[in-house]
Amino acid sequence: MDTLVSKYANSASSASFDDADNLGQNMAGWDAASQFALPAFDIPMVANPVDFLRAHTDASAENRIRIQHGTTTLAFKFQGGIIVAVDSRASGGSYIGTVSLSISFTTSQTVKKVIEINPYLLGTMAGGAADCQYWERELGRRCRLYELRNKERISVAAASKILSNMVYDYKGMGLSMGTMITGWDKSGPQLFYVDSDGTRMRGERFSVGSGSTFAYGVLDTGYDFNLSIPDALELGRRAIYHATHRDAYSGGSVNVFHVKETGWVFHGNFDVNDLHWEYQAQPKGPIV
Amino acid sequence: MFSTYPGQVVVDHPVKVPIEHRFDPYVDNGGTLLSIAGEDFCVVAADTRLSEGYSINSRYVPKSVKLSDKTVISMGGCYADCLTLTKKIQQSMEWYHHAHGKTMSTAAVAQMLSIMLYQKRFFPFYSWCILGGLDEEGKGAVYTYDPVGSYERESCRCAGSASSLIQPFLDNQIGFKNQASQKKTLSLDQVLRITKDSFTSATERDIYTGDYLELFVITSKGVEVQKMDLKKD
Amino acid sequence: MFLTRSEYDRGVNTFSPEGRLFQVEYAIEAIKLGSTAVGIKTAEGLILGVEKRVTSSLLEPSSIEKIFEIDAHIGCAMSGLTADSRTIVDHARVEAQNHAFTYNESIKVESVTQAVCDLALRFGESARGEESIMSRPFGVSLLIAGIDETGPQLFHTDPSGTFVSYSAKAIGSGSEGAETELQEEYHTSMTLIEAETLALKVLKQVMEEKLNSTNVQLASVTKDGGFQIYSAEKLQQVVERL
Repeated sequence: MDTLVSKYANSASSASFDDADNLGQNMAGWDAASQFALPAFDIPMVANPVDFLRAHTDASAENRIRIQHGTTTLAFKFQGGIIVAVDSRASGGSYIGTVSLSISFTTSQTVKKVIEINPYLLGTMAGGAADCQYWERELGRRCRLYELRNKERISVAAASKILSNMVYDYKGMGLSMGTMITGWDKSGPQLFYVDSDGTRMRGERFSVGSGSTFAYGVLDTGYDFNLSIPDALELGRRAIYHATHRDAYSGGSVNVFHVKETGWVFHGNFDVNDLHWEYQAQPKGPIV
Repeated sequence: MFSTYPGQVVVDHPVKVPIEHRFDPYVDNGGTLLSIAGEDFCVVAADTRLSEGYSINSRYVPKSVKLSDKTVISMGGCYADCLTLTKKIQQSMEWYHHAHGKTMSTAAVAQMLSIMLYQKRFFPFYSWCILGGLDEEGKGAVYTYDPVGSYERESCRCAGSASSLIQPFLDNQIGFKNQASQKKTLSLDQVLRITKDSFTSATERDIYTGDYLELFVITSKGVEVQKMDLKKD
Repeated sequence: MFLTRSEYDRGVNTFSPEGRLFQVEYAIEAIKLGSTAVGIKTAEGLILGVEKRVTSSLLEPSSIEKIFEIDAHIGCAMSGLTADSRTIVDHARVEAQNHAFTYNESIKVESVTQAVCDLALRFGESARGEESIMSRPFGVSLLIAGIDETGPQLFHTDPSGTFVSYSAKAIGSGSEGAETELQEEYHTSMTLIEAETLALKVLKQVMEEKLNSTNVQLASVTKDGGFQIYSAEKLQQVVERL
């Protein structure tokens, strides 16, 4: 574990408190942008930092650190490109440290679970909200540098590979990220699934998160490659709605995006309560 | 004791293994904070009680700090962590000022804070942050964070020990959630009234909230601080 | 004169008794051998122009790169050692992206320039443990042009790490002649179109070869379009205006 510590520790404060060069280190970084130039993290000076983090984020911890979690996201390829749909609930909350009120409750209904890496790349967010936000932001920086250095946009395959390589470095450290990276590059619409275990898969159709099984049920039933754009948008919306209906960790509203050759387009935010009554009012089709 | 094979290390006394005591650096100092964004103003409010367990350590420890004429940060959780984090933000803002010759905008502080929190992903700051201020267009902005830096911009947010008492009330009164009535923009006066009511009510039901309410009102004219008494029981 | 220098121009970080750093001064001299580059600032935006030395008819002019994009709103033109410029430009790009990453806003032109100049003196042995990246000073000079919240900005940097803001500036072998011309022709109410023409006019005067659309390169930085290198067609139009 010492090797882990030395690998990831950058912090003067936790690694070597009385190092005389402490103040000097900041001189090189004349502003915070240089300080954060590379992903480097403070590691607690304990024998096993991984256990430390686990103990403090565990539900049984006395002063629990509540990291925002839970979601349903989906993305699928079809003739018109890619549809990305997500719900908006993040539960777990900021720290709810008090004993009397320590109940699992929804802290946010507005979390944006689609991260706009750049005008041509979208990443969805499932698992730890901060993990997804940070690493997809880091990915955005690297993609932009790639573009400046090579005078062409990075392929979705390469971008997703960068992301999976970055998080794989931290495997076993407690990161939680399940994401779909989508975009349109030279070889057309592209969809990849990447998670914090290091999995990276190309695919046609993915759903990630606690409500994904429910979303898959609807998605697989209604999916057809030749769907029209309005039908595809509706399928994404409906699949997420059904997931929010059955998965307590999903809810709020549905955000829908369409990835086209010219970049991604946002197709609206729909309150699931409104969708519920809209769908209830519709005549039901035959089962078979 | 004897050796069973040549070269075996013979230990004739019990091995002293270092005993690791659990490293528990966090303590919850309680308290509640909230922030509401208006059309051209932002209110950041927090009570000032600092408690540990069932003891009240201080009746006046402000949770909010003015970072610039446009930005106020409010933090709850482990007071030691909050102090450090606040100083880190202030130091970086100072550096930024020297390096770029301008004051950091609310949006820039918001992004930087997210990264600062994430830098401690494996040793998190035990703090929940709410950043309130005015954006570049002069509109009210509230940024809320989870402990490791996930953040988003919202119109109102409450965090801390009484957050689950106050947040649903704010959703109803500020966000007009599940109300048939049309959403309307609230005036500063209405927002201050809702804020004060939230805290007086929360003080009745949350043991960690009370003593004083400190309100920071951020408008284009700058930051104005108001203080109000809460129950001290 | 060179005899007296010889004692003190060997070490990159040794002052001469007169208080000069000869290696840095020689690096500045190296720029005067480089191809000419001009930068012009107008209220509408900025123009960067460079000459390409097409030394052989077999050389592909498009492979000579002397104008670089730093970020969407900043570009630069270089003169001196092309290889050195790559390190510096990459540093500027990384610095611009780090700023955007940390503060969610685009970096100021002056800040990028400062970052480039911070790098300029990181040669030889370093004092405070920060990595020294070069064993000699960079032999490159840049004209950094960009638009930020303070408006259009044009900066000139040299190997000593000094940077100064200009309305119009020329660097490289033809810089003396070019600057005389710029001083005569430049006025503050210049339009971007006029600046394009002036840039090429200045280059035409100082270039040894006859100016055409393959041996010069133009780029502009505007509020709406950001940094853009002129396409062959667009450049041809400007050449025809001369």
